[in-house]
Amino acid sequence: MDLRFGNFGFRAMRSLLAVSLTGAGLALATAPAVAQEELKIGAIAALSGGGTAWGLGLQRGVQLALDEANEAGGLKIGGKTYKLKLVVFDDQYNAAQAKVVADRLVTQEKAGFIFGPVGSPGALGSLPVTQPAKVLQFVEGYAPAILKNEWNAAYVFRISNSNREFAEPIVKWVKAKMPTVKKIGMIAPNDATGQAAVPILVEAYKKQGYEVWVDYYERGSKEFTPLLVRMLAQNVDLFELNSNAPGEAGLLLKQARQVGFKGPILQSGGSGVDEIIEVAGPLAEGFLKYDVIDNSLPAVSTLLKAYNKKYSGVFNGTSPIYYNAAHILLEAIRRADSLDTTKVRDELEKLGGYNAPIFGRVIWTGKQEYGNDHQLFHAFIIKEVKQGKGVVRDVVSSP
Amino acid sequence: MLSPIVLVQIVVNGVGLAAIYILVALGFTLLFGIMRVVNFAHGAFAMLGGYALYYLYSIYDVPYLVAAPVAALFVAAAALVLERFVYRRFYQKMFQSMIALLGLDMAIASTALIIWDSHERSIKPAVSDILQLGGIIVPADKLVIVAVAAIALAAFYLFTHFTRAGLAMRAAAQDVETAEAQGIDTRVTYQLSFFIAIFMAALAGGFYGQTYALSPFMGERPLMMAFIVVILGGMGSIPGVALGGLLLGLGESFLSTFYGSSVSVFVSFGAVILLLVFRPWGLLGTPEK
Repeated sequence: MDLRFGNFGFRAMRSLLAVSLTGAGLALATAPAVAQEELKIGAIAALSGGGTAWGLGLQRGVQLALDEANEAGGLKIGGKTYKLKLVVFDDQYNAAQAKVVADRLVTQEKAGFIFGPVGSPGALGSLPVTQPAKVLQFVEGYAPAILKNEWNAAYVFRISNSNREFAEPIVKWVKAKMPTVKKIGMIAPNDATGQAAVPILVEAYKKQGYEVWVDYYERGSKEFTPLLVRMLAQNVDLFELNSNAPGEAGLLLKQARQVGFKGPILQSGGSGVDEIIEVAGPLAEGFLKYDVIDNSLPAVSTLLKAYNKKYSGVFNGTSPIYYNAAHILLEAIRRADSLDTTKVRDELEKLGGYNAPIFGRVIWTGKQEYGNDHQLFHAFIIKEVKQGKGVVRDVVSSP
Repeated sequence: MLSPIVLVQIVVNGVGLAAIYILVALGFTLLFGIMRVVNFAHGAFAMLGGYALYYLYSIYDVPYLVAAPVAALFVAAAALVLERFVYRRFYQKMFQSMIALLGLDMAIASTALIIWDSHERSIKPAVSDILQLGGIIVPADKLVIVAVAAIALAAFYLFTHFTRAGLAMRAAAQDVETAEAQGIDTRVTYQLSFFIAIFMAALAGGFYGQTYALSPFMGERPLMMAFIVVILGGMGSIPGVALGGLLLGLGESFLSTFYGSSVSVFVSFGAVILLLVFRPWGLLGTPEK
C-alpha cells in the first residue's frame, strides 16, 4: 500500500478513515482467488491496540497453513474440493468485542471453525457464542475457565500449554538450577490474564517452599519504576515476569535493571523472546524465558522462511502455535471427511499420535484438571539471552 | 520501607515521570488554548515523531542532537498538510474537533500499522548510563528528558510573553475578532501554533519511544496522560501543564510505590473527577465566560 503523507488530500483522508473504521485486519487479509467451493475459516485476533503483535501472529500462522493447503490443491471433503479462506475480525484484545465478532463469524459468515482470540479475556468472552452454536474454537489463553466451564468445553481446544501445564515443571527447574533463590517477585497485568494466570504460578512456587510477592498494574502502563522500587524493598531474589505481553515484559526487564535489580529475571509464560530483546536492548542479557519453539529446528526454520517470504516484521511466537493448530484441524477434517463440527471434534479427540508440524506428536490431556482432554500438551524450552540472542538453555518435556 | 533514600528516589522517579507528561501535554494545551481544538490525534503525532527519530538516529546514524529536533521538524512540517485539509475546518469547534480528530488518530495509527507492522521496536539510547548518587539511582536518559522538558517550558513561556508572534498567539487565544481587528493574521498565527504544538508532540514522542518502546499504538498512553495533565492544570494554561504534570508524576510515583498501581490510578482519576465537579477550569485555568 502506497500512502504518502505529502499527497494527503481530502479523498485520501476519507479513504484512510475508511481503512481505519473497517479494521486494519480486513485491509491486511490477503484475498485468495475465487474458487467454486469456498470454505470460510474464522479468526478472532487483536489487530489494533496493545495485543496487536499477538493478533497478527495468530492471523499469519493460520494463513500460512491455509496457503499450504490451497497450494496443494485445496481441501478435499466428501468428493468436493474446497479453497480455504481466512476471515479475520478484530477483537481489540477485549472480551466484549470478542463476543461481538464471534457472533458475526457464527451468524453472518457461517464459520464452523474459529481460531483465537489470543489471550484469556477474548477467549472467555467468545465462548458463550461458539459453544452453544457447536462451533469449534482453538485458543491459547491461560485461564482455567476456558476448558472448565458450563459447556464442559465441548467445542473448544487449547492449542498450547497453559501455565497449569508448565508452572510446576518450570518451578522445579528454578529449584534445581538456582538453589540460592528464596523469594520471588511478580508484577502482573490487572486483567483476566493476570488474575487467572498469576495465582497458578504463585501456587506452584509456594508448593516448592518459595515466598512470593505480587503486585498488579493497569494494562497499557509503560512506567514501572515506582512498582519496581516497591519490589526492591521486598528483597526478592528472582523477578518473575509471568504472563506479561512482550512489550510490557521488555519494559519491566529494562526498568528492573535500570533501578538496580541484580538477581535473575525469568518469564514463565508467553511465547517468543525476540520482541523482549528488541525492547530491553542490552539490558536483556542473561534474561531467562519460557518458550514454545526453537527457531533452529528444521520444521520451525521452514515456517520461518515461509513467514519472511510473505510478511515483514518480527516472527511472533503465536504464529507457530496457530500454524500447528491449523494443521491439526485440517487433518481432523480430512479424517472426518465432513464439515460437521461434531464429527470433526470427535476426530480431533482421536488424533493422538498425528505428527503435527511444529510440536510433533499430538497429545491431548486435561481430564483430571478440567474434566476433558482438550488441552494440547507439548514440550517446552527455556531460553537465555546471550549476546542479544535467545539461545536454548534447557528442554523440559515432562508435565 | 520509608527511609530518606527511598523518599528521594520516589521524588526523582516522580520528576522523571512528570517531565514526560509535561512534554506531551504542552502542545496539546497550546492547540486547545488558541484554537479550541481538542487534539485527540496528539498521540499519533507523538508516534510519528518516534518513528522519524528511529529512522534518523537508529537507522541512518544521524548524530542525536541533530536527529531529535530534525525528526520533530519533519513531522511538524508534514502535519501542515493536515492542518490545511483537516484541522482548519475545526478551529473554534471544540466538540466537532473531538470526534473528527479521534477518527484522524485511528487513521494515522492504522496506516502506521500497515507501514511498520505491530511489533515493538526500540530506539537506541543516546545515553545509557545509570547514575548512582549515594543510594539514589537515576537513569541518565531520564535526566535528559527532565532537562529538555525544563528548557521547553521556559522557551514556551518566553516565546509567548516576549515575542511578537507569541503575543499574537495570546491575543488570538483571548479574542479572535479583536485580535483580527488589531491587524493580527489569525490564519498565520494558527498555523504557527499548530506547527509548534505538533513539533512538541513529535519531540516528546521521540523521547517516549526511546525511553519505553516504539509501536503504531504507542500514542494512546501519552494522549491519555496529556489529557489528564491539561484537565488538572487547566485547559490552555502553560503553567497549568507544569503544575498538572508535576502533580500527576509525583502522585503516581508516591502512590504506586507505597500502595500499588491500582490505588495510584484510582486516586489520579478520582482527583480529576473531583476537579471536574468542583473546579472544571482546572487548577490554573480560566473559567469560560
